[in-house]
Amino acid sequence: MASADLTSKQEASRRSTAGGFADAAPHPLISLLRRLAGRVVAVVTTLLGLLFLTFSMGRLLPADPVLAITGAEVSKEVYDRVYDELGLGQPIWMQFLSYVGKIATGDLGMSATTGQPILTDLMTIFPATIELAIIAMIIGAIVGIPLGITAAVRRGTVIDHIARIVALAGHSVPIFWTGLMALFVFYAKLKLVGASGRIDVFYEGLVTPMTGFLLIDAAIQGQWDVFHNALGHIILPAAILGYYSVAYISRMSRSFMLEQLSQEYIITARAKGLGTRKVVWRHAFRNIRVQLLTILALTFGGLLEGAVLIETVFGWPGLGQYLTRGLQMNDMNVVMGSVLTIGAVFLTINILSDVLYRILDPRTR
Amino acid sequence: MLKQLLTTIAMTGALMAAQPCLAASPPNMLVIGTNLTGIRTLDPAQNNARTVSELISNLYDNLVQLSPDDLKTLKPMLATKWEVSPDGKVITLTLRDDAVFQSGNKVTAEDAAWSIQRVIKMGQVGSTDVALWGFTSDNVEKLVRAKDEHTLEIELPQTVNTDLVLYSLAGSSIGIVDKKTVLSHEANGDFGGAWLSAYSAGSGPFSLAQWRPNDVAIFNAQPKYWGGKPAMARVVARHIPESGNLRLQLEAGDVDVGQYVASGDLDALSTNKDMVIENVPGLGFYYIALNQKDPDLQKPKVREAFQYAFDWKAISGNIMRHTGFPWQSMIPRGMIGAPEEAAVRYDYDPAKAKQLLAEAGYPNGLKKVLNPSGAPTLPFAEALQASARAAGIDLDLVPGEFTPAFRERKFEVLLGNSGARLPDPFAVATQYAFNPDNSDEARLGSYYLWRTGMKVDELNTLIDQSMKERDTEKRTDIFKKMDGIYAGMASPLVIFFQRTDPYVMRANVKGYHGHTTWSTRWHDVTKE
Repeated sequence: MASADLTSKQEASRRSTAGGFADAAPHPLISLLRRLAGRVVAVVTTLLGLLFLTFSMGRLLPADPVLAITGAEVSKEVYDRVYDELGLGQPIWMQFLSYVGKIATGDLGMSATTGQPILTDLMTIFPATIELAIIAMIIGAIVGIPLGITAAVRRGTVIDHIARIVALAGHSVPIFWTGLMALFVFYAKLKLVGASGRIDVFYEGLVTPMTGFLLIDAAIQGQWDVFHNALGHIILPAAILGYYSVAYISRMSRSFMLEQLSQEYIITARAKGLGTRKVVWRHAFRNIRVQLLTILALTFGGLLEGAVLIETVFGWPGLGQYLTRGLQMNDMNVVMGSVLTIGAVFLTINILSDVLYRILDPRTR
Repeated sequence: MLKQLLTTIAMTGALMAAQPCLAASPPNMLVIGTNLTGIRTLDPAQNNARTVSELISNLYDNLVQLSPDDLKTLKPMLATKWEVSPDGKVITLTLRDDAVFQSGNKVTAEDAAWSIQRVIKMGQVGSTDVALWGFTSDNVEKLVRAKDEHTLEIELPQTVNTDLVLYSLAGSSIGIVDKKTVLSHEANGDFGGAWLSAYSAGSGPFSLAQWRPNDVAIFNAQPKYWGGKPAMARVVARHIPESGNLRLQLEAGDVDVGQYVASGDLDALSTNKDMVIENVPGLGFYYIALNQKDPDLQKPKVREAFQYAFDWKAISGNIMRHTGFPWQSMIPRGMIGAPEEAAVRYDYDPAKAKQLLAEAGYPNGLKKVLNPSGAPTLPFAEALQASARAAGIDLDLVPGEFTPAFRERKFEVLLGNSGARLPDPFAVATQYAFNPDNSDEARLGSYYLWRTGMKVDELNTLIDQSMKERDTEKRTDIFKKMDGIYAGMASPLVIFFQRTDPYVMRANVKGYHGHTTWSTRWHDVTKE
């Protein structure tokens, strides 16, 4: 069976990345833990490499972290003082080591441009991005999966072509332009959504941050006006971000579904006289659920990437904007803190999807 | 399941369509769309840049102030009057007795003295102007002192024109802070700097309600302000870095005042009857810098060739329309010693530039690397590259952030712009014409002439004189003389435009006036 083949291939490749214990057959829990440990080691190593790369880049760029703090018109005395405060007089490798040492103790350093500890900054901005990405993913899944499946079921029909065009557009139109156009139509002309930030300024300060997810915080505190306003602000960037994932999700759903539809059990089911809808949703869809989950997890990582541009267009105070500004201002602690966070998200998603895969697909155990 | 989800989405859409998002800011609230990048603290002592100066100027009062339409006449603020001793050594200021900090503490001369001492002792960028007069952390406590509850004495460590000193007291860095409150939050001898980065302790018309770096700053009116309760109950400065988005929000009325709008959007907004664009003259220029460490650029005729190699008229109507006006004197327009007429001294003349290059020994032209100081000056650099080609100068444009390289003298040709806060030619002259030590080791990166590697003793002497001279007529002559020398020496800083800062306002906003020294105040702003 092709699907079984596919999963066993994935399984094999997963095992090889996890350090490879393909031949042994230990207790499933132990093998899971081993695999997880291997994965964590691999990711931590990658993160360290990534950090080193970002750190070196930051030092090679013709930008000056001191001026990021002081502004360009600064006297020699002030310049020297800040230079020493930042420890820029030490050799690069020492700066890097002391940075990594601090990270190990949970200290990500201070931001030169916000004056706050990076950790404090991240606590404020990270939920904004996650909230955006989750809603974008929900939109992407709700549109992309049915579109892909319909395209597979009605292969070669108009629907199939439309799905392909949608996917193509999602790959070829710059997100920046789409964002501005959407603002022009839905905000400026139709007045349906908010423009900038997570909320209109009139609603600032009404909701006490608890989870950092504005929609959840507003709902918990029964501030439905704020909730509605925040929804009006998130819907457009999330929809655009989601649209860019629709392309990928629909393409993958289509190919998974096509593969299922050619299976013997589907042909048998059809021969028994089951309707197309039942065949597709009851039988075929059940068998591709797990694969779709993996795709969604991968998409989530991609959404964080897309958030960088969309956050700038929409003035969304999230990780993407934070990282972009850190790069512009050569605020290396911000850049590295953001890179670490994105890395950690990928790691978490990877591990979670792995675990879910095992729970949901008995064949992988 | 899917059906339910789709239904939910459809219902949400319908709900949103039924209730359009609220647009237009309320009548008692001012929303400013700006760029909050890089503001890491709202402590007056730790700032001197444009956007943050405006925020601070509304949280803290100064001893004296300058109104935006008259930069020569000092006006009372916390000080109701001031006098200078006959020998010009001591300034005595009398403080008003009805001013209170947001904590309820009365504003006293002790607070004022401590605020100035704090700026000097902290030695951050906020001290840039006031440290010029010779105050140091060792002498400031002795020289700046409270004589009694309402009398402040400022004794000068050297001979300085006292108007300059008073101008520096009007700068946002010298906002008077509440000594008791700030000291109660002091940690590790930081003068309360860490706490003041996100809280306010001033006597200004507004207090800080919320501050999220790079996102939003919210200010509430102080009902008991000595100058009367502001009409705006709330002012919000919001970070909107994307100019297209800011423009849409200005047009929709969600934002009342827009700063840092890109030139294309400014053009579009200028035809909109609901908008007013105010181009506020700034104390700085757009210039070409020529590194004197480069043997080719050392030759005076080559420097002179650059004056004729740039078609500045071609951009004055488009990219510079709102951000500068033609000006080629080192003394800013309207200041003492400035030319009466528009100071246009060189036009685009590729033939003349070629001839000058040939006379300097480059009959086949010249090839150099050109850098903009940063993203804002890139379009300007592109225009220079295009027009210089016809003049025989082949410029290889490498974009990026080159201010740090400029400060380190590591460049060939650079295109930059500048700003200053003291409304006196002395401040600009210090930036453009002062260099007391041309050695690499001196690292005097705050002086542009040092950055370009040139030292002119005569200019140094004149600048020093202009700081000490108390007679306005004599100072005027000093600046005229300075300008003459500068124009005649083919300066390595070739000035083309004086800077203007465009502020876009909705037409119903009254009383908002961008300030040349960036101390824009919101106290008198109303909305019709």
